[in-house]
Amino acid sequence: MCEGDCKGAAKGRPNMKPVYPKAGSYPDFAKLVDRENAQVDRRVFTDEQVYQAELRQIFARSWLFLAHESQIPNPGDFVRTSMGEDDVIVVRQRDGSVNAFLNSCPHRGNRVCMVDAGKKARGFICNYHGWSFGIDGALRGTDGKVYEKDETFEKAQIGLTPVAQVDSYKGLIFGTFDPDAVSLLEFFGDFTYYLDIMLDNDEGGTEFIGGAIKSEIDCNWKFPAENFVGDILHAFWTHQSGAQAILGGGVDLGKRYDELAFQASIYGHGIETNLDKVGNTRTLGYPDLVDYAFELSEKAKDRLGELRARAIGAVSSCTVFPNFSFLPGQNTFRVWHPRGPGKIELVVWTLVNKNAPDHIKEQYRKGVMMTFSPGGVFEMDDGENWEYSTRVNQGFVTRQQPLHYALGIESADMERDLPGHIHKGSLNDANQRLFYTRWAEFMEHDNWTDLQNGATAAPKKTATAAE
Amino acid sequence: MMIELCPSAEIAEGEIKRVDVEGLPAVAIARHEGALYVFPDRCPHADESLAEGWLEDGRVICGVHFAEFDLDTGEVHNPPVGCPNLSFFKCEDRDGTVFALLTGDNANV
Repeated sequence: MCEGDCKGAAKGRPNMKPVYPKAGSYPDFAKLVDRENAQVDRRVFTDEQVYQAELRQIFARSWLFLAHESQIPNPGDFVRTSMGEDDVIVVRQRDGSVNAFLNSCPHRGNRVCMVDAGKKARGFICNYHGWSFGIDGALRGTDGKVYEKDETFEKAQIGLTPVAQVDSYKGLIFGTFDPDAVSLLEFFGDFTYYLDIMLDNDEGGTEFIGGAIKSEIDCNWKFPAENFVGDILHAFWTHQSGAQAILGGGVDLGKRYDELAFQASIYGHGIETNLDKVGNTRTLGYPDLVDYAFELSEKAKDRLGELRARAIGAVSSCTVFPNFSFLPGQNTFRVWHPRGPGKIELVVWTLVNKNAPDHIKEQYRKGVMMTFSPGGVFEMDDGENWEYSTRVNQGFVTRQQPLHYALGIESADMERDLPGHIHKGSLNDANQRLFYTRWAEFMEHDNWTDLQNGATAAPKKTATAAE
Repeated sequence: MMIELCPSAEIAEGEIKRVDVEGLPAVAIARHEGALYVFPDRCPHADESLAEGWLEDGRVICGVHFAEFDLDTGEVHNPPVGCPNLSFFKCEDRDGTVFALLTGDNANV
């Protein structure tokens, strides 16, 4: 912009190329995770500066979940979502590919899309001055026959800011704001072995059904993420009454717990499972679903092998770092969008196999609503805990006290031939320690070489997956 | 005077093509259910190209603000404020060539 004596004349024309922020390094924040002593400093849940660093280091670089392919089957179909706190439009292109753009006009910044989702959009028009963008993000035109008469106006180089990379894995679409980020598959590492339990247990693939349910919880985003990454321990106490109501008994991890249950972690992504076949599915309360899950488990042995086939409906949970989580068996998929250090916007969907019978799909949809939605018995149990785990840290003295993450510190399983860091038993803080270790790696490192070769990378011994 | 525009075979069903005419503003030619339609390649609202828009249910859709113009009457639907109706030029397909009456400033419906 002109300053001084140029009397209103700009010296140069505006460069409207997308700006993708560079990462920094926050070693002091990385130290808030004490790996030596299995402790986490509570400032990671409350400190505004830590939160701003998370937006820069984690949410502006990680591959984040955007949508399921089934939500936007046709050109112009779109959903609006968030990447961190950035508002994003995800839209199917005319050539069948998927692009994503910041939902912000490059003129004065107003949003160009106001609805959550839609079909066959012709484009997106800003409400402020009528700037109009195609589903490819390009500026198509403006309003009022003004810019057309300004010969200095360079329409061709103006558009909605594209998400730097978009890719999909077996129906799930992810994006990253970092042009230098490793590929989606490298970001997952061998964790795809575990994702396939839900995404590839049946021919025909998967779909989301029944729309999305949104809610807000006044908690830090990491409490739900770490809960799903490896905390089945809480179910015994937190969910006891809900389990009593639905199952007529407590949470049961299966007779072969000592032999079968484990936690696995790669690059901070984590899954805990008890391999009990149908424990999670049972909590939805429909006997037909349990039969379906049993049959699916038998049938899926060919695709997934014996071990993973036992995991499809088992008591289990999973988080893909940083904030995408799901429950095998209960089939709820969700993103914990950060809204400041003390608040999240939670969006949940139900995933089913496309080839599942209609009445089975319907029971999953209803079952998830009864359990893992804002009015569901289990979601309400969890939400209150996470809110108070966050809120008590308003206390100045309280937040000086370290938190204990030391369950199972000597439980590493060096023998089981599975990808990633394997720990014995699902009742373990192992995955949560590795989740925060990954968090610290993102705080510490400004480059992907270091990010992909730290302590959370899969140990070499499991470079080749079992089966 | 009818002016020669282009071979009519170049206008596929359901498509809009822009044709530059020497000494006159560019025109757009559309084909819908076999019939040809010729109109200014300029939306009446913001001077944008209508050939960069598309046809939908018998209407020309402007790709910029999504105003819709009936192909037979030019009546505008879903207009941005101040967007008038679209005018059409008289046109004919003479032995495989499109001709249109482009005289004067105003289009001839």
